[in-house]
Amino acid sequence: MNIIKRLQGKFGKEILEIKEPVKGKIYLTIPKTGILNFAEYIFNELKGRFVISVGTDTRSISNDYTITYIFSLDKEKTFISLQAHVKNDDLTIDSITPIVPGANWAEREVYDMVGVYPKGHPDPRRFILADDWPDGVYPLRKDFPYDKKPESAPEMKVPLKKTSEKSTIISLGPFFPVLEEPAYFRLFVEGEQVVGCDYRGSYNHRGIEKIGDSKLTYNQIPFIAERICGICGFIHSTCYCEAVEEAAEIEVPLRAKYIRTIMLELERIHSHPLWLGIAGHIIGFETVLMQTWRMREPVMWLCEAISGNRKTYGMNIVGGVRRDIPKDLHPKIMDVLNTLEKEWRTLLKAIQGDTTLMMRLKNVGRLSNEDARKICVTGPTARGSGVRIDSRFDHPYAAYAEMGFKEFVSYPDGDTLARTLVRLEETLISIDIIKRALQEIPEGPIIAEITEEIPPGKEAVRVVEAPRGEAIHYVMTGPDNRPFRWRVRAPTYANLQAIPVMIQGASLADVPITIGSIDPCFSCTERMIIVDKKTGKERVITQKELLEYSIKEKLK
Amino acid sequence: MNYTIGIGILNIGLALFLSPFLEGIVRKLRAFIHSRKGPPLRQPYYDLLKLLGKENLEVSPNYLLRLAPIVYLTTILIAGLLVPMGTISPPIAAAGDVIVFIYFTTLAAVIIMMSAAASESPYAQIGVSREMMMLLTVEPVIAIALITGAVNAHSLRMSDIVMWYLTNGPTVSMVIAGVSVFLAVQAQLGKLPFDISEAEQEIMGGLFIEMSGPKYALFKWGFLAKQVIFASLFCQIFVPWPATFTLWLDVPINLLKVLIVVVFVCLIDVVNPRLRIDQAIRYFLVMVFVALMGLVFALVQA
Repeated sequence: MNIIKRLQGKFGKEILEIKEPVKGKIYLTIPKTGILNFAEYIFNELKGRFVISVGTDTRSISNDYTITYIFSLDKEKTFISLQAHVKNDDLTIDSITPIVPGANWAEREVYDMVGVYPKGHPDPRRFILADDWPDGVYPLRKDFPYDKKPESAPEMKVPLKKTSEKSTIISLGPFFPVLEEPAYFRLFVEGEQVVGCDYRGSYNHRGIEKIGDSKLTYNQIPFIAERICGICGFIHSTCYCEAVEEAAEIEVPLRAKYIRTIMLELERIHSHPLWLGIAGHIIGFETVLMQTWRMREPVMWLCEAISGNRKTYGMNIVGGVRRDIPKDLHPKIMDVLNTLEKEWRTLLKAIQGDTTLMMRLKNVGRLSNEDARKICVTGPTARGSGVRIDSRFDHPYAAYAEMGFKEFVSYPDGDTLARTLVRLEETLISIDIIKRALQEIPEGPIIAEITEEIPPGKEAVRVVEAPRGEAIHYVMTGPDNRPFRWRVRAPTYANLQAIPVMIQGASLADVPITIGSIDPCFSCTERMIIVDKKTGKERVITQKELLEYSIKEKLK
Repeated sequence: MNYTIGIGILNIGLALFLSPFLEGIVRKLRAFIHSRKGPPLRQPYYDLLKLLGKENLEVSPNYLLRLAPIVYLTTILIAGLLVPMGTISPPIAAAGDVIVFIYFTTLAAVIIMMSAAASESPYAQIGVSREMMMLLTVEPVIAIALITGAVNAHSLRMSDIVMWYLTNGPTVSMVIAGVSVFLAVQAQLGKLPFDISEAEQEIMGGLFIEMSGPKYALFKWGFLAKQVIFASLFCQIFVPWPATFTLWLDVPINLLKVLIVVVFVCLIDVVNPRLRIDQAIRYFLVMVFVALMGLVFALVQA
């Protein structure tokens, strides 16, 4: 049955406004008091998957704040955005986390950023702001300048979870050998068993969303979006461009769509070996690391041959791509892919036949299907737990609809082995997709000409399946041919929230590989504000003093 | 007397100064399997020199931490004097040197654990508990294997066991003992899949997390020496052939055998991920039973 009709039948007059500007994108405006009912209905009855919430300072438009909760109905290939307006005199909204556990971080982030407090949240600690960010300063409000550095407020230090006296605290982070980026897992350990954990992240904030909202133009953002992640940069720039294209109703030439598809799949192909190598390294299997990275290297050279760069290609722009894939590169691409395919099949067999490796992967870091749905994980983490979602199929983008993408890998076991096998087999499918795309790619222009300004007040949600899961970009267009709000959700944001469930009761030795098994990308997850983390409560000397001191020591 | 001092110097020299070279070969081999070039063969010497030349940091006022590296290396070298390396009888050949050898290798492990515990780092604590569990399961395997030899030879002297084995040839009990020692050596040397108590990816080096500079150099050197000593133990006692009874031939033959053992250890190291402590213990408990079977065979024959 039609989703809109079902919603109208259930809620009737409670819905203030309902629109579907593009097929499969439903925007509902609801009173803020009704959020719990709506969220419950969509999550439990319609089997919607919570994606992200967006807090927007819309005081200049409607004199209030708008909180948008985005749900994905994967079977119906639909996104539902619930929008509630929060007036200035009561900056609170009911927390949906008790109903939708996956909304935990998103709601805390909305409070940190625009100051709308989630009432009834089970863990309303500061989440994304630095430990010394002053109280009551909300960086994503429009009256907060993007380059302002507030005074340090060391008393704001986030309280850490208490633990029982029996357990020891083992810190994984903020800097740890197997975490490529800073993140802080405090593990409560009894003997070798993990009995609980606490997480503190957001050490990598670069203020990307703020700068996009307040400074950059539509065509500058793709380049900064690409720098959100060091591995799946092209995914973010594609996702952003498609969101703007949807909002502005720009028709992208088919050739550009195919080029995007090829580059997106190349990114998956070089990301999965990278992950496998790191996973091998985490369990001490250096041979896997060395060999998979050797296999990966030709793919990087291929990217360089196509775009001029190993990474961060700078190819995407609103309306299409800036660089063509010339015909004379096709044989080289085929060559690299064929070699990789052969080596990858050998590797797959070797890994499946390695009993010691199986001992380390099987039944480790289990995430049940039910938990996977509750926490709303995505990508290989979801598919490894038997949740059959893949945005290439559910919400097709680039040229996947034209190519009829439908095969995706899923395992029901929910352990690290399942997630590993999903990634390994996906790589082979990606190789096939590129080969097919090279055969099917039509001639034609690679960029749509845009002559008019993009109208303000339009919204769009787009999703791209990154190697780690789905990346979501929400764009609201604004005046002066600039975006009003640009929201990014990287896949790790969803997947990382499943870690406490996965490591509960596990052996300490299994924690690194479990964290590794979701292929975390912390700098993707944390991209919001310019943070000066150099000041902390326990610090005695300033960084400048330290620098002077070290220079003096050197001269001695 | 002079002969004894001579082979004493030989043993210590091999354990101290040849072991880094062996490590160099191992690193080259590992690099080859990784499709890398690898560092030059002399790199382990440079590593030791560099560490020895660094500042000696004191992380704790505990004297144990200061003394442990020296005591550790000394203990390892004494254990080295108790193992024949190309001779039939080791430099310190006394009645019951088999027992003394087991004592000294255990002592070395205990010293590491004590120094790690003294460093008060939570990672080191976990390293200690893991090392303790490993020690309690791995050490019996080697002890039982040596006792099997002793039961066969009716003597607790290393030289008697070797002589008995050379005259009587391989028996079921000695083959079982040999295999179990070979598998235990992997864990004794802290190689994958049994480097659980260091596990840099899990507990950042565990036992050695607070060790740096000269202290770490001595521990590292001890580990390299251990490689030669345990490989020699395996080669000379459990595979004593060919024995020519001439020193200048037997020493190179032993070195060749040691090299082969070390290469095998490296190959196992390269093709395995790290086991979890519970998995490793289950594995070695099985090994203890296998070694006990060997002992039963020896008792029945005797």
